Amino acid sequence: MLVVRGVEKHFGATHALTGVDLTVAAGEVHAVLGENGAGKSTLMNVLCGAFPADAGTVTLGGARYAPADPDAAFRAGVAIVHQELSLCPRLTVEENLLLGDESTRAGFLDRRRLRERAAAALARVGSTTPLDARALDLSPAAQQLVEIARALVRGEPRLLILDEPTSSLGADDAERLFALIGELSRAGIAILYVSHFLEEVKRVAQRFTVLRDGATVGTGAVAETSIDAMVTQMAGRRVEELFPRSEHPRGEPLLVVEALSGSDKPLAASLVVHRGEVLGIAGLVGAGRTELLRVVFGLDRVVSGEVRVGAWRGPRSPRDALDHGVGLLSEDRKGEGLAQGLSLAENLALSRLPSFVRGASLRATAQRWVERLGIRAGSVDAPVSELSGGNQQKVALARLLHHDVDVLLLDEPTRGIDVRSKAAIYAEIDALARAGKAIVLVSSFLPELLGVCDRVAVMCRGRLGEARPIAEWTEHAILKEAVGA
Amino acid sequence: MKALLAKKWFGPLVALVVVYAIFLVLRPETFGRAATLLTMSQQTVVVAIAAVGATLVIVSGGIDLSVGSSVALTSVVVAKLLVRGHGPLVAALGGCLVATLCGALGGALVARLKMLPFIVTLGSMSILRGAAKGLANEQKIDAPARGLETLLQPAAGSLRPPTGVFLAIAVAVLAALLLSSTRFGRHVFAVGSNERTARLCGVPVERVKIGVYAIAGLLAGLAGVLEFSMLTVGDPTTAVGLELEVIAAVVIGGASLSGGEGSILGAMIGAFLMTVIKTGATHMGLPNWVQEIVTGGIILVASGLDRLRRGSATS
Amino acid sequence: MPTRRQFVLTLGALAACKKSGTGTLKIAVVPKGTTHEFWKAVHAGADKAGKEAAVEVIWKGPLKEDDLKQQIEVVQSFTAQGVNGIVLAPLSDKALGASVKGAVAAKIPVVIFDSDLQGQDHTSFVATDNRAAGRLAGDHLAKALGGKGKVVVLRYQEGSASTANREEGFLEAIKKSTGITVVSENQYGGATTESALKTSENLLSAQNAATGGVDGIFTPNESTTFGMLLALQKAGLAGKLKLCGFDASDKLVAALEKGEIEALVLQDPFKIGYLAVKTMVAHLRGTPVEKRIDTGAKLVTKDNLSSKEVQDVLHPPS
Repeated sequence: MLVVRGVEKHFGATHALTGVDLTVAAGEVHAVLGENGAGKSTLMNVLCGAFPADAGTVTLGGARYAPADPDAAFRAGVAIVHQELSLCPRLTVEENLLLGDESTRAGFLDRRRLRERAAAALARVGSTTPLDARALDLSPAAQQLVEIARALVRGEPRLLILDEPTSSLGADDAERLFALIGELSRAGIAILYVSHFLEEVKRVAQRFTVLRDGATVGTGAVAETSIDAMVTQMAGRRVEELFPRSEHPRGEPLLVVEALSGSDKPLAASLVVHRGEVLGIAGLVGAGRTELLRVVFGLDRVVSGEVRVGAWRGPRSPRDALDHGVGLLSEDRKGEGLAQGLSLAENLALSRLPSFVRGASLRATAQRWVERLGIRAGSVDAPVSELSGGNQQKVALARLLHHDVDVLLLDEPTRGIDVRSKAAIYAEIDALARAGKAIVLVSSFLPELLGVCDRVAVMCRGRLGEARPIAEWTEHAILKEAVGA
Repeated sequence: MKALLAKKWFGPLVALVVVYAIFLVLRPETFGRAATLLTMSQQTVVVAIAAVGATLVIVSGGIDLSVGSSVALTSVVVAKLLVRGHGPLVAALGGCLVATLCGALGGALVARLKMLPFIVTLGSMSILRGAAKGLANEQKIDAPARGLETLLQPAAGSLRPPTGVFLAIAVAVLAALLLSSTRFGRHVFAVGSNERTARLCGVPVERVKIGVYAIAGLLAGLAGVLEFSMLTVGDPTTAVGLELEVIAAVVIGGASLSGGEGSILGAMIGAFLMTVIKTGATHMGLPNWVQEIVTGGIILVASGLDRLRRGSATS
Repeated sequence: MPTRRQFVLTLGALAACKKSGTGTLKIAVVPKGTTHEFWKAVHAGADKAGKEAAVEVIWKGPLKEDDLKQQIEVVQSFTAQGVNGIVLAPLSDKALGASVKGAVAAKIPVVIFDSDLQGQDHTSFVATDNRAAGRLAGDHLAKALGGKGKVVVLRYQEGSASTANREEGFLEAIKKSTGITVVSENQYGGATTESALKTSENLLSAQNAATGGVDGIFTPNESTTFGMLLALQKAGLAGKLKLCGFDASDKLVAALEKGEIEALVLQDPFKIGYLAVKTMVAHLRGTPVEKRIDTGAKLVTKDNLSSKEVQDVLHPPS
């Protein structure tokens, strides 16, 4: 049904896809596996018409397939259910289902026809949700079913893409979803099933393809391959040596977290970070790593448990945390980490402004950090949005250094930045540990965790595992614990 | 030169100079008089002071629709206090206090309950207007001005600007310093530019917002005292629509309604530009509808040019 | 077609501006508003006087109808500009005092028209004797009701001296009839027809007008009269109660013809505008003028509607 040959995709200098091959037969459930950042999402976006491939060919049912936009993909018979729930919260189920494909008669909405189509699509996926319920009132599982029904409402697709469909579902709801997938595939629909959870893949898929660094590295029949073998293919080879590691003796415990729970995640997480130590936290996207850091920093509510730094118990607010030497580097650089409209100098000093600000001293301070971290910027007065991602990240890190915090909570500090900036940030982390700081590093990039950290703990579905010395871990072992296998 | 072009107030300043020059050429014998300049600066004072507060609010990412009502309420409170025999200073401070409290209360709703500023101030716009009418018994209150009237009325025949003009300049300078040179000022920009970043950096976002609305309230109160000085009566129906004039001044001055951008100097230029148009239209004998169209056009052109300038800067 | 006419006037004003030199006198006329029918007739009268006397008349009201602050600004602006004279219908008898003082200090004489101003700075006051006009309405309504019944007064706005005098004159006359009781006289219709309509509706229902709670009504200007008429029409009471109003517009005259309005007291807005400018011109040219000039008022009923006198007031020669 679907044949992908040598597809490539570049974003500027970044090679997101470097050669993907994939073949899916009609009526087959085909799993696409890979680590975070392996290129799965980019491939799905190419297939559903979000952006075109730069090279390679795709055929669908024997004909050339290069959709100009999502609507063209839909008309060609390719439907996608995205990982994030994407219903309009204030519209009803019926309105959501038919959004963009409303039936009309003489220019007016044909209400009866709309209702029939919506009801038929819901029945097809076995949902009993009332058509007039608003999307925001539905449970995640019910929303997921509505999303799938939306993929079916314009007529039976030839290829249905499900991107991490169980990430927001409980076990029972996942079971019902698997039954539905089976039904749809028996009706002859080809299904691409993207997932981290290898147990699920074992249950639901017939064949699988593994992506790594933007390329296909393996394919096979699920029944003939062990989970271990799949993990090995996903983790693959080591990347080049980026990680300077010097001696940094471990000092006394600095940050102590005990049975900490947030409003959703984390669940009773405990950890201790010592002076001069880098503690890595691994896990899949959505496992609760970011939430853990946010609760420790006081951005999200503490439901139970405790955070201690020395004699201080907190935090009541980010201000409180900062005052006691705890700083957070946000994973969301654009939306949270930096105020994009403000200048480099203003962003850098934001957490530590004197009562009366002198522009000259602000600029001088900024200039010092620009030189120390090798930030490439035209002027410290230019809006930070004009810098490259790597340089922006250095500004965000410089803010923590300027504030002179003792505990650095770093959330995906190297995501989406160039190799040179990555190396600079690794070197800085190493220097900080040597200077006796305590560092918590959340990362989805396994070589980074193995290369930089002294100990690593793995988080899975809100629960934090035991932190073990780096010598006891391999990529394989981390991945296995992360997928809950 | 390039640094000048990058300033937010440069565009509006050019517009002001151009419009002023046009009227000067068309009506040299009357528009060029010192008395005309004096009258114009006097007539800008109320809008200008309120626009200083509105600049703070808009830079912080909010909006304040209650300015006009707040001005009317203050004028009534001042008149009431004067009628009861209080001195002019007590009356003025009393008026300012009421307006400040109203502003702070609105700020608390915005900050603590996370209500939208548009909704909160839309509500307070109506509440304060109603309160002003109720307090004044739905009439204009005739009060002995006791010297307050001299704030905005020049001595007959004199070319020295009345105190109110200097007051407005002082307020603008202080606010500009507050925005540019204090921690609070930087926090206002940070909250307006990206509230999440501000929170991450330990900025007390809620206190900053309450502070901003309280200051805006205080300045609306001061504008109300000056409004009273001009009217010499407490008028609960005065300043209807003033909030839009004030927002227009701030926007012409280069502020972004999505927050994080704006300048006091720009807002002052914007306020003065609107007075120049108003006065020029009177001197030309143009009817009111022409004046309204021209003012609206200037707002669109000013923000359109700003959009273009920024578009070319980034691409 | 008011817009077209306005436009032509604008062009006229522009043309007049261009050729204005040092010779012609410039007289600024500042009304309370620019959109009511009443002010349009005043405008026509002022223009006619201007043409006859060969002076330039600049017509400029507040941007928003009845906006006190803007009217002050307009007067200040004309003062700074240095016109030869200002003819002003003040929105408040007190608040405009300082601006007028300022104009006089700058050697610009001021003639007040339509509504009075406190103080002695102005040269002359040209207006209807409003108290007398109000009495005219009171006497007529008392007669029409046969000397007994319940009467409502819908006031215009506090601080507006002209209408307040009409209201007082009316009350003075109506209270002479012992059989008549005034059941409400403390409601204000406000500046616009819309606000007057709302107040009228509330007033009518509060006084049980539908079940005979009201026999006669007095309204002191165009917007309150029209607002009350609309309220009566909506309630199906038009013509059943005797409405005695002030001022004229096409709709009010039509209602008078249909018997929905008992009587209208007409000022002569054309004459007011005309006399105000004439007075200013006379003063500027050195002729002594009276301190107080009455422009008269006329009571119009269905019976005398077609007389020439009344028609001249309704459709002024322009």
